[in-house]
Amino acid sequence: MAAKPDLAAKSDQDIVALARAGEEPAYRELIRRYERPIFSLLYRMVRDRELAEDLAQETFVKALNAIESYRPEFKFSSWIFKIANNAAIDHLRRRELDTLSLEGSPHAETPDAIEATALQIGARQESPLDAVEARELGGQIEAAIARLRPEYRSCILLRHVEGRAYEEIAEILSLPLGTVKTYIHRARNELRQALAHLRE
Amino acid sequence: MTGDSTQLHLTSDDVDAWLAGVAAPELQRHVDQCSACFELVQAEQALAAQLGTLPLYTPKVDFANRVMASVYIPDPFAIRSLQAARRRLLGSRKAIALAASLALVLLGSMSASAAWTLANRDTLVAAGNWLAGQAAGWAWLGLRSAVLNLIEQPWFAGFRSLVETPGRLAIASAALSLMYLSGILALRRLLAVPPRPVAHANR
Repeated sequence: MAAKPDLAAKSDQDIVALARAGEEPAYRELIRRYERPIFSLLYRMVRDRELAEDLAQETFVKALNAIESYRPEFKFSSWIFKIANNAAIDHLRRRELDTLSLEGSPHAETPDAIEATALQIGARQESPLDAVEARELGGQIEAAIARLRPEYRSCILLRHVEGRAYEEIAEILSLPLGTVKTYIHRARNELRQALAHLRE
Repeated sequence: MTGDSTQLHLTSDDVDAWLAGVAAPELQRHVDQCSACFELVQAEQALAAQLGTLPLYTPKVDFANRVMASVYIPDPFAIRSLQAARRRLLGSRKAIALAASLALVLLGSMSASAAWTLANRDTLVAAGNWLAGQAAGWAWLGLRSAVLNLIEQPWFAGFRSLVETPGRLAIASAALSLMYLSGILALRRLLAVPPRPVAHANR
């Protein structure tokens, strides 16, 4: 979905103001900007493609229907990531899925369901050799991330995959800044240990 | 990291500073001299780079349409009309000052009224009683005037002779009741809806 050039150049706050004025293209622009980051975060959190889509849809519907309650002094990205993270954590608490499989959802029962829910790694590389290497490396990183506690997983994904600042992560997760730093350092230690064999 | 740069290893904040590329010169010196910290920052840099290469995933193509199907979008015309009305009403300083003055007067008079009511309950009760007494007096006066007017009518003597004895009163009451019932029956006949034949009623 291509955005109108005038909308693509505007800031999130401007787009939100247009959405509040009832402009449908502004709603679509917000979806276009955040659908991949939100879906990626949720996919890595729950490891189930269908479920991640449902949670992403729930996140956007909740955020866009409550756009009037959004306070412009905060970043829109923080707000929508917070809604998404809460959706993922709520789901994980309900299902008690602290560690997950790369081979698809543990709730998938048929081969089709397993394939549909499995994480697709390295699918966008240029050469077959690159794809294999990326699949192997990416797969091991994804597997190591999947073994982290959900709180560590949120922190490390927001910090190193989404590139969010510590302060923003603290705001998204409603955690003290010191706790966020601790979680990220512990997560990095666990990941370093899990991936140590790659450096040898 | 504090103290002698060769004795203390990097803290997690130091590693963050290193990854962000804002490490202080003493950190650099320490890393150059300490093999453990050198290995740590190398490993952290490699990990950050690997995490940074993880791809973003894309939901299905109709994702935006599915979201939009559940999103309520306010009517732009209604919003614009409301905004225009607000601008017209509160567009100038004069209008804002007038609205604020009216609000202040309203609020002030309401507060004063509430305060006076609470402070003068006895006066209010006395005033209420006086008003009720006046109303009862006027009602009695009105009733008396109506009755006196009736008595002064030329036909009143004839009417009075009709109901002078209990027997005549009973006959007059019966005649009046009969007339009333006849009137009701006539009215019902006049207002009754004519019956219509019902389709398929005679199968």
